[in-house]
Amino acid sequence: MRLYEFEAKRLFRRFRIPVLDAVVVDGINEEELNKITYPVVVKAQTFLGGRGKAGLIKTAETRQEVESVIKEIIGESHGPYRIEKVLIEKKIDIAKELYLSVIIDRLEHKFCVITCSRGGVDIEEIARQSPELIHKYYFNASVRFSQFSARTIANGLGLSGSMLKSGAEVVYKLFNLFIGFDCKLAEINPLVITQDKKIYALDAKVDLDEDAMFRHPELKELGIQTRHEIGELTEREKLAKAAGIPYVDLDGDIGVFPGGAGFGIAAIDLIKHYGGSAANFMDSGGAPTQEKLRKMLGLLIDNPKVKAIFGARFGGISRCDDWAKALVQYVIENRPEKPMIMRMAGNMEEEGRRVLKEAKEKHPELFKNIKVYSVTTPIEEVIKETIRVAKAGRI
Amino acid sequence: MSIIIDEHTRTIVQGITGRNASFHTKLMLGYGTKIVGGVTPGKGGEEVAGIRVYDTVKECLQKHPDATVSSVWVPPGFARDAILEAIDAGIKTVVVITERIPVHDMLYVRECAREKGVMVIGGNTPGLISPGKSLVGMLPRITFKPGRIGTVARSGAITYYLANSLNLAGFGESTSVGLGGDPILGANFEDILHLFEADPATDAVVMAGEIGGVYEELAAPFIKKMTKPVVAFIAGKAAPQGKRLGHAGAIVEGEMGTAQSKIEALSANGAIIAQTLSEIPELLRRRLA
Repeated sequence: MRLYEFEAKRLFRRFRIPVLDAVVVDGINEEELNKITYPVVVKAQTFLGGRGKAGLIKTAETRQEVESVIKEIIGESHGPYRIEKVLIEKKIDIAKELYLSVIIDRLEHKFCVITCSRGGVDIEEIARQSPELIHKYYFNASVRFSQFSARTIANGLGLSGSMLKSGAEVVYKLFNLFIGFDCKLAEINPLVITQDKKIYALDAKVDLDEDAMFRHPELKELGIQTRHEIGELTEREKLAKAAGIPYVDLDGDIGVFPGGAGFGIAAIDLIKHYGGSAANFMDSGGAPTQEKLRKMLGLLIDNPKVKAIFGARFGGISRCDDWAKALVQYVIENRPEKPMIMRMAGNMEEEGRRVLKEAKEKHPELFKNIKVYSVTTPIEEVIKETIRVAKAGRI
Repeated sequence: MSIIIDEHTRTIVQGITGRNASFHTKLMLGYGTKIVGGVTPGKGGEEVAGIRVYDTVKECLQKHPDATVSSVWVPPGFARDAILEAIDAGIKTVVVITERIPVHDMLYVRECAREKGVMVIGGNTPGLISPGKSLVGMLPRITFKPGRIGTVARSGAITYYLANSLNLAGFGESTSVGLGGDPILGANFEDILHLFEADPATDAVVMAGEIGGVYEELAAPFIKKMTKPVVAFIAGKAAPQGKRLGHAGAIVEGEMGTAQSKIEALSANGAIIAQTLSEIPELLRRRLA
């Protein structure tokens, strides 16, 4: 889960990594703007790199200038993201720019510190063109990071004398921040040394592990909320999140109620393969309660883009009887008219079928747009039928 | 024969008193899995489905020294500790059902397991089954039939659909292994492919991967060395970038982890690529004919 620069810098401050004094505004905020001393740099807050090239980092010498730059940048888009906030920092005289990051190397299954004596540019570009400038240091997850490792790394960056000590401090603190906040990435690009020999993290990029957020209540204090790996949630995604449902909006018209995540991913492929288009991704596996299952259905039924719903339950840890009961209760309470083409198999299937049959006999009118196939119908046939129904608008 | 578990395997259940664990303990016992004990700290002395509960894995193994496999069902915040406890007590295979274990925890656990020569399967695995012999985890039994195809997949539901389509076509499984949907896994595709290659009861292997991570790419060079045919299926060709699709591991980050890069690596090393799950039996039939 990627943080904005201003959020990442809040974490940096907590670990005493030197950052410049700054204010963050989402418009002309008098009180905040009164705090700054000129000249300043105004930086758009966005999830992508390359802000300088995109004209989203600008300098300002006066109050008048800063106000016009703020108005210019806020509301602009950067890739798929709309800029809502800017970070305003004092402009400094830079003598040297370096690169420093800590990442998880998923090939080696180790933590890796990466440095480069040329910072402020796209590190992947340097890796392609001048790989000799990049140093990598691997650490086992069980190892306690030592001060001497930090000094070795700073030394490898070409720092010496008093700069070695302040550089090693930053390396040491960044590694501890990486461990302390369960990061997947903590990056400073550039790490700058000023004309007067001071060191600052001029930019900050942090990717958190969403699965570890439960043990970092301090993130909430810092104003950091859950979101996509990269990017903000849509309104429906926020509703889903609040209900604890992994859900992603897509562009199509077939609602997907797939069971587990892996099959959800495959279902989206299959729908595309047969000429349809999914309206969403959802993980409805992992033994959801009946209440949660009803919320999941509600998300799809309430989405005006959804023309038909494809459902599948392969009961493993998630039982067919729970699924069937949730479906029946939802249908009786909400009387949805959208067609649902589903398939149900697996653990507790017999009981699930009995529940469905009983409900259908009792309320034939409510279930006329709902079909639930069994294990003998291949999933591809169910998907093809859903696509047909979505196009025709009825069963 | 089969891999990892068979009719002689003795297993224990960590977190046995939880709702899912106790429910699936009954299903496993019903399948014939030999569960000799359960562990929930603080609940020692209780019973679940006739199985004695112990406070620690060590105590459980003192009473049942023949147990070699443990399944772990504890909440994610306790998973690291539970897996380390199993490794420390001498368990040989730890099947981690728990999902969404913090990445740093899993890196640590993985390192300790490799050091001790312990196989950790998961996290977020549905478990594994050697049909007709033993089932460890929560896979639906009706889907699997004894046979000579080994399957290994990251997702639970795909493991089930895969077995389902194999069985409708008259095939069965020697063993089906779920690797799990978390981003950092214990055992990976390559580990399981090695076991299937050496298993005399397996004629061919089906592997089902998905977007995210590099485990599929890492396994590719070994496929080239295998004597048995491998059919590969990759889910996520239509996935959007930068969004996590349910499984913590299923996210496309730039060029890395895309369905395309996996398909290319596997295909270049001799795997037969299936576009859909339902065409897999036909691909196998042609190759085994």
